[in-house]
Amino acid sequence: MNKKDRQQAIWFTVSGFFMLMTLAVLAAILYSIFKSGAAVISWEFLVDAPRRNMTAGGIMPALVGTFYVSSLTVLIAVPLGITSAIYLNEYARQGTIVRIIRLSIRNLSGVPSIVYGLFGLGLLAATFRLGTSLLTSALTLAIMSLPWVITASEEALKAVPASFREGGLALGATKWQTIRQLVLPNAVPGMATGSILALARAAGETAPIILTGAAFFLPNLPTALSDRFMALPYHLFILSTQHTQIERVRPLAYGTALVLVALVLLLNMAAIIWRYQMRKKQTW
Amino acid sequence: MQTNNNNNNNNNNNNVFEVENLNLWYGKTQALKDVSVKIEGRKVTAIIGPSGCGKSTFLKVLNRLISLIPSVKISGSVQFHGKDIFSDGINLVNLRALVGMVFQKPNPFPKSIFDNVAFGPRIHGKKTKSELADLVENSLKKAALWEEVKDRLHEPGVSLSGGQQQRLCIARALANEPEVILMDEPTSALDPSATLKIEDLVRSLREQYHIIVVTHNMQQAGRVSDNTLFFLNGELIEADTTEKIFTNPKDKRTEDYITGRFG
Repeated sequence: MNKKDRQQAIWFTVSGFFMLMTLAVLAAILYSIFKSGAAVISWEFLVDAPRRNMTAGGIMPALVGTFYVSSLTVLIAVPLGITSAIYLNEYARQGTIVRIIRLSIRNLSGVPSIVYGLFGLGLLAATFRLGTSLLTSALTLAIMSLPWVITASEEALKAVPASFREGGLALGATKWQTIRQLVLPNAVPGMATGSILALARAAGETAPIILTGAAFFLPNLPTALSDRFMALPYHLFILSTQHTQIERVRPLAYGTALVLVALVLLLNMAAIIWRYQMRKKQTW
Repeated sequence: MQTNNNNNNNNNNNNVFEVENLNLWYGKTQALKDVSVKIEGRKVTAIIGPSGCGKSTFLKVLNRLISLIPSVKISGSVQFHGKDIFSDGINLVNLRALVGMVFQKPNPFPKSIFDNVAFGPRIHGKKTKSELADLVENSLKKAALWEEVKDRLHEPGVSLSGGQQQRLCIARALANEPEVILMDEPTSALDPSATLKIEDLVRSLREQYHIIVVTHNMQQAGRVSDNTLFFLNGELIEADTTEKIFTNPKDKRTEDYITGRFG
């Protein structure tokens, strides 16, 4: 074995080992959540409200609240994000200003989520008088998700070959016709995947919603945008740190974690499968 | 072919494009230098020259696709049937409908064969099914592709071979019923037999269209064109009938290029 081969073998081994370690950590997390949480999972757990001071019952209001707030987030963030990406990538004259905007967007995606929470509380809840509510939380999460949606959508637009745009324009199509008929249809898979991933992250976020609208416990489901709501991640936080009988409710906490993780994994998997299906159909 | 020093009584002449003192810069790099030329109608005009000589740039000026590049600066005038295409009154949608283009690499849209050809007519407002079906059939026939695809019009355009894809792109340009067809090295991505088919097609189209074809293949220029423009380093060195350019060039540089001494 010569030196080059040896080097290669070493690096393959080392990188393979670290890959396995990463995988092991992930597996350990999933295993511990599953092991401790699976026992409490039942149909009742999913459709029942917490009972007897949260020591019994299920997580239905938190599940529904998370569904509401994430759906609203997507409804707000995706149209805004996609249209912003179209503007930035297709219309804006590429120059210093657009570079600065793009850089700011990239940086925004690195801002800690608690800061978004504070922003939502200060600006939306207080200044705009939206109060702590479903709407305020969804807006806050939407603002937080926007950078991801914009970035993913821009990548999707960039991946559409320039020859489609040139071909369309050369046939006398307007810029919008070209975008609408040739660029967007081919960017949809990437945009959708990015949006689902943003949705999955929004569903799991805790800090922003604690500050802007998530409630400790509510007897009723939210019926208006101005209502407060329960959410899975916050419910998990309460069960595992704020409850008076933490040891006793631990299985419920793990059950909640399991549902949350399963939800997020399902969303991610849906995104991956969808992307795979669209790629198979994609011919360029 | 008339060069710029010939008489200048335009309008009721046969010129499609009249270019005067055209200069073009990409940022600070000058790509076209003081180009003046008249391009005759109902002829095939070949543009030859080594890589980077400005021939593709010149072609993209003619349908103003060049304007997509923000750093481009242009001076001089380019008239299409006596109308300056850089004037404010020009409608790019109309210009590009009249001046079609075929690209170096076949670029069928990710749509069916039918929808590829129907793309132009649809965006220009032709909607009825029978109208579209006729146009698609005629365009594919003119592009010598009909027989090969008539039974699978609804299969994706990209399922065709490279040469067929390029003829599909020609059909797509023809469906707009243009006057001019610009071709930017249309065969450089194709194999020899597909190339010959495209060349036959170009010859058959010359009766109905003004064709301007950029090529770095001199044999091709000789085979298909009536007139030839020779570019070098952004300058138009010589413009004449293809026969004269190839047999009796006036400029030493043209002769050197034709005889393969560089490029």
